[in-house]
Amino acid sequence: MNFLKSRYLTYLLIGVVLASLPFLNQMGVIRSATVTTFGFIVFYAIAALGLNVLLGYSGLISLGTAGFMGLAAYLTTHFTGEWHLHFFASLLLSVLIPTVIGIVVGLVSLRLEGMYLAIATLAVAEVSRQIFIEIWSWSSLRPPAVLLLQGLALDRDGMYLFIVGLLVVLMMLTDNFIHSPVGRALLTMRASEAAAQAMGINLFKYKLMAFGIATAYAAISGVLYAHFIRAVDPSPWTLLLSLQILAVIVIGGFRTITGPIFGSFIVFGVPPLILNQLPVIGDIPGLAFIFNGALIIIVILFYPRGLVYMGQDLKKLIKRKEVKSQ
Amino acid sequence: MSTFFQLIFSGLETGSIFALATLGIIIIFRTSRATNFAQGVMGMFNAFVATTLLITYSLPAWLAAVIGMLSAFVTGIVIDLLIIRRAKKANIVSKQIITFGIILVLLGVAPMMFGSVPLSFPRFIDTGAIDLMGASLTYNGLLNILMGLGMMGILFYFLQYTKWGLAVRVTASNEQTARLMGVPTSLVTMGAWAIAAALGTLSALMLAPAINVNVAMMENVQVNALIAGVLGGFQTFHGPVIAAYLIALARNLILFYVSDSWGEPLLLMLILLFIVMRPNGLIGKKIVKKV
Amino acid sequence: MSQSKKILTIKGLSIAFGGLKAVDDLSFHVNAGEIYGLIGPNGAGKTTAFNCMTQFYKPDAGQVIFNHLQGEDVDLVGKKTHDIIKLGLVRTFQNVELIGDLTLLDNLLIGAHIAYQTGLFANAFKLPKARREEEEMTKKALEILAFLGIETKAYELAAGQPYGVLKKVELGRTLMSNPKLIILDEPAAGLNDTETAELAKLIKEIRETYSCTVLLVEHDMRLVMGICDRICAISFGKKLAEGTPKEIQASKDVQEAYLGKEASSNA
Repeated sequence: MNFLKSRYLTYLLIGVVLASLPFLNQMGVIRSATVTTFGFIVFYAIAALGLNVLLGYSGLISLGTAGFMGLAAYLTTHFTGEWHLHFFASLLLSVLIPTVIGIVVGLVSLRLEGMYLAIATLAVAEVSRQIFIEIWSWSSLRPPAVLLLQGLALDRDGMYLFIVGLLVVLMMLTDNFIHSPVGRALLTMRASEAAAQAMGINLFKYKLMAFGIATAYAAISGVLYAHFIRAVDPSPWTLLLSLQILAVIVIGGFRTITGPIFGSFIVFGVPPLILNQLPVIGDIPGLAFIFNGALIIIVILFYPRGLVYMGQDLKKLIKRKEVKSQ
Repeated sequence: MSTFFQLIFSGLETGSIFALATLGIIIIFRTSRATNFAQGVMGMFNAFVATTLLITYSLPAWLAAVIGMLSAFVTGIVIDLLIIRRAKKANIVSKQIITFGIILVLLGVAPMMFGSVPLSFPRFIDTGAIDLMGASLTYNGLLNILMGLGMMGILFYFLQYTKWGLAVRVTASNEQTARLMGVPTSLVTMGAWAIAAALGTLSALMLAPAINVNVAMMENVQVNALIAGVLGGFQTFHGPVIAAYLIALARNLILFYVSDSWGEPLLLMLILLFIVMRPNGLIGKKIVKKV
Repeated sequence: MSQSKKILTIKGLSIAFGGLKAVDDLSFHVNAGEIYGLIGPNGAGKTTAFNCMTQFYKPDAGQVIFNHLQGEDVDLVGKKTHDIIKLGLVRTFQNVELIGDLTLLDNLLIGAHIAYQTGLFANAFKLPKARREEEEMTKKALEILAFLGIETKAYELAAGQPYGVLKKVELGRTLMSNPKLIILDEPAAGLNDTETAELAKLIKEIRETYSCTVLLVEHDMRLVMGICDRICAISFGKKLAEGTPKEIQASKDVQEAYLGKEASSNA
């Protein structure tokens, strides 16, 4: 139990550090644009957390992440803006609908050989992109601010804190089911489909569950995007975004809870906060893509467990050196 | 009837574009067990090379295309030497992810080198058309169809009747055994990436006059080429090619006769359903998994 | 031990791969409480027969009648692979299929997968029901680890453990499902003489303690002859002989299949 408590503590610490940013901004230590960038980092981390359940634990690739995010962003804009639903009701519906659609897609495409799932979801992503353009006739909609209670509307900093809080809760929930029979079943399936079947694990059911979780988290992320940025249009929900969220997991670390946060910082934080501030190369268009693409390849080739393990490995290395020098 | 044949002709032209891209994907899959999602961007990148040279030095289109394909050949070799060769032991999912990385890199490098303004690439043959069964087929369209078929004819001859073709097929069926038998599998894999990149570039340049050269130009081709691979089955070379033509023809007919805005989604969904019913594709063989 | 009751009856089992008959009209039965051996030289079709019984392969013809936990006879052919264990039949793998990233304890808990009632939500929110269930299962798994003599390693990762330990863990995993029949795929493969002897003792103890029947598919004659009550010898997918270890050792057909024609005529 102590071990578990210490994992919860890690998530809380991450939450506290992230939550301190708006206050640092008010004190004038960081710019408000930096807080916005971290908002992006956090809700993309949520999508990656879900995708990691699919890719990390069941070894399946989905390229539909951005599509489901976009759908959820569209839905919540409509539900809160047009129908004036309460935010939580809208959140529930806007997550439920894409998840059901995702499960239907999964029902069909998960019958294919694992390798083909990426292709099938790519096709679905292409289909949904074209449907978006068909139905999303407006160029940009403005979702209303989140009203938590009557009279308590969240401004951008408030919404940021809300997103961070949700991230911490989702990390804990994910940790819980990963360390339960459900997570063990997923891990078994990934390590050996034969052993999983012999132990009574219904492969199809668990693949579908993992796909459903990935979709639901992507939808949550989309809803948060809409109410944080408060402007949504069909343009961001492309294959490129799905690939970048995939990069988050590869770079951060498969099968970890904190990896996606770390990876999201590298993929979505490092380019605007650091690279673009550099002289000369900072102005190159497409610098973020090159950086992220090259990192994916380098990490897969040379550090396949993900960069989240860097600290641990460094410690080990230093210890080994100390032992040697003694 | 003339409309129908018009649709068939343009379907064949699109089919050639899809088929060239598909063939590249299959050659790579068979020799290095990687589903290449970067086939399209490899073509896009070198289409930019060709177009930039064409504009800068006022080259004729055919010469620019040849140079573009040569630079694609080099691109393929570089990708193999720098990345694929080192990923030999990676599993199939990791290799797929590597190709995603290649997509991002090339999408970043292209605007850096060539700017972000779409460039126009001329047709190979400017004007002229022949009347066939009441429909008109431009010389350029005819050339594209013939180039697609000719390219594939040459490749199939090469695969089936030459020593190198044999080496490719042996590597495709069992890389380890092939290596033990003295087949230079590394060279075969490198060649596969080089040829695939060149095929992708040709297909990009055939598409270019219609939609201009831009970073997103090959997205649709990439999707259709991969789907053709699944539909035709990754185990054969000819299956995906046939599937590519079928998809292109069906696409044209559905876009015209059913709906031009919902036709493409409809077709993709129909194909997915078909693949679910027949998971081994049109011609695919059944594989028994060993436990 | 009632010798009369049949727990598993194989009738006319056949499967062919591209014209090659890997298992050809194979029939035998296993009585409740027995340790039964299915033996044969390399390539005899033992593992294929095994996979047909556990529904990893779909046989072309034949029946696999199993007397399941509720005491009724069912034909396993056509059942889903992951449903077999629910009926009380559980298998191991020739080359040990454990999860290296998990502890030995967690690996055992996977064996109890079918016993868990709680799902995704109960576990995500750690409802009391889910906690209680996990505690019960953990207790059971620790008991089994103690029975196997490896309880001190319960919280160590499976990756990096000696092969002998992994084999035990895999056996322990099968016990978590309260099986009626355990079938072992070449359990002695990769073990040295001492480990094989230990394994033989363990298999007998499992039968006594957990009152299950054991069917083992084996290549290693020392193990089979030492612990099996009855044996079925097959070659090229066909049954050669069936009987007690002594009868099998005396069988001319079996000697020929194992040692070749000449050697057996010299013997």
